[in-house]
Amino acid sequence: MAGPSTNAAIALSLRENGMAHWLRIGFYKVGPFFTVTALLLTWELASRLELVIAFLLPPLSVVLLRIAEDMVAGQLPLDIAITLYRTLVAFVLAMVIGISLGIVIPRVASIRWFFDPIISIGLPMPKIALLPIFMLWFGLFDTSKILMVAFSASFQIIITTWSATQNVEKELIWSARSLGASNRQILWEVIFPASLPQILTGLQIAMPVCLIVVLVTEMVMGGQGLGDSMLRSARYVDSPGVFAGIVEIGIVGFCVIRSMELIRRRLLVWHQETQKEETTV
Amino acid sequence: MASVARSGREHDNPAAAPGISISGVCHEYRPANGRPVLALDDISLEVKDREFVSILGPSGCGKSTLLYLMGGFMPLQQGEIIVAGKTVTGPGPDRGVVFQNFALFPWKSVRDNILYGLEKQGLPREERLEIAQHYIDMVHLSGFEDSYPSQLSGGMKQRVAIARTLAIKPDTLLMDEPFGALDAQTRSLMQEELIAIWNRSPTTVVFVTHDVREAVLLADRVAVMTARPGRLKEIVETKFADAPHDEIVKSPEFLDKVDYTWNLVRAEAVAADAEKAG
Ligand SMILES: Nc1ncnc2c1ncn2[C@@H]1O[C@H](COP(=O)(O)OP(=O)(O)O)[C@@H](O)[C@H]1O
Ligand SMILES: [Mg+2]
Repeated sequence: MAGPSTNAAIALSLRENGMAHWLRIGFYKVGPFFTVTALLLTWELASRLELVIAFLLPPLSVVLLRIAEDMVAGQLPLDIAITLYRTLVAFVLAMVIGISLGIVIPRVASIRWFFDPIISIGLPMPKIALLPIFMLWFGLFDTSKILMVAFSASFQIIITTWSATQNVEKELIWSARSLGASNRQILWEVIFPASLPQILTGLQIAMPVCLIVVLVTEMVMGGQGLGDSMLRSARYVDSPGVFAGIVEIGIVGFCVIRSMELIRRRLLVWHQETQKEETTV
Repeated sequence: MASVARSGREHDNPAAAPGISISGVCHEYRPANGRPVLALDDISLEVKDREFVSILGPSGCGKSTLLYLMGGFMPLQQGEIIVAGKTVTGPGPDRGVVFQNFALFPWKSVRDNILYGLEKQGLPREERLEIAQHYIDMVHLSGFEDSYPSQLSGGMKQRVAIARTLAIKPDTLLMDEPFGALDAQTRSLMQEELIAIWNRSPTTVVFVTHDVREAVLLADRVAVMTARPGRLKEIVETKFADAPHDEIVKSPEFLDKVDYTWNLVRAEAVAADAEKAG
């Protein structure tokens, strides 16, 4: 993740000049690729030089070849599509439920009375423990998977929305009110946009949770998707298949998280964090 | 337009005097964790219709608190505030407020910030845009219409905040250190601009500042407050003959008033420091 520290480092380096400056920029730009490349190279060599048994760690090249084969055969695109479909539907569901409850709970006493204890217990609990119940209630198909995932992810979104909408600067609300805004307008035109950066952070935390829980439900319940395919490979003692699954999940996860960052940047053009990135790079 | 609205309200309540009447107002902050703070203690002040009154006092004496109460943002604990014949019970666009920390909407461009209040008044789109542009030009922000507040300097943000409030043409203007973030040059330009606007369409103005010279120069009367808990210490008449600012500031009457007021405030600032130290 190109976090703020990397950007700060780039900003700092812009003030220097000459070779050192370019080397430093090169270092920060290439750095992540270097780490990943080194790791992959070690993997390949360790296996090729028979430092480890190829069954326990098949060479990277074999794994990549396997991914290419699955890609051509059409099974991999299907699995990716199914996993992404479940993840996104569950994420949107969690987002709608999470944001609505996060806005309503602190504002309606009776709803707060009902949900406050549920959230206090549910937030720190490993929600995946309820998977058997979801299986009993909703069966083994997409419904139970999607509901399990949405349930796991929504607590985080409720909590961030709740605290963000409660902590909006009071002068911001006052000035809208003195300019003639109604309560409803203040909620949607002031409190919501003012809380958006934190709400998006909550969503960005919830997204990987969705992906993880989707994979777990697929491993447990089957029904295609990357998790199912990986577990099946393990059952057939197909070690390249297992490692192919790990690489695929890594790539899919990376793309999903990157897209979230891009969406954040789009939505927060007005925010300082976005402008800093534009001016320094 | 403003005068029509004003006479309309006098009809509603013919007995009430326009302007602002503050009587026996106290305010205590009661933080959830911590000791209660008495910010205002028995403040009474009459501001005449279309009068420009400055509230002057050391930092922390309760100036913002008093302005928030006039704005109706916090419930009155004790006493009464009547603005233009109406008892204050909540905020409203009849009282335009410029906040000390600007309180701009960071997700809206300069233009959209200024348009916000105009939209709430239900003006037609063309007219809204025209008014917004007029005020953008007035505060010298032409060319920054589409900038976001985070792209502006402190002084520019302050000018947006002032334009946003002036654009809705409030009958009463409540300003909390509106020129505090400006450099000296922009500050005196804005001071003259404010007086020019006020001369064109006089409104009742309450102008909070901790700058003695600014208070004496702009206001008809300066209300000097004591260190915390804020009480009214003295009201100084500071109306000078109509003249350009650069002439007024050289006149002996002006310098005398500044000196006199300065001594009042300094005594309080010393008291405030002593309290902090002790
Ligand atoms: N929300 C608050 N909770 C507790 N104390 C506060 C709060 N707001 C202001 N105060 C205290 O009330 C006093 C007056 O504050 P304020 O009106 O902001 O002063 P001024 O605007 O003159 O600097 C200060 O001592 C301040 O510390
Ligand atoms: Mg203040």
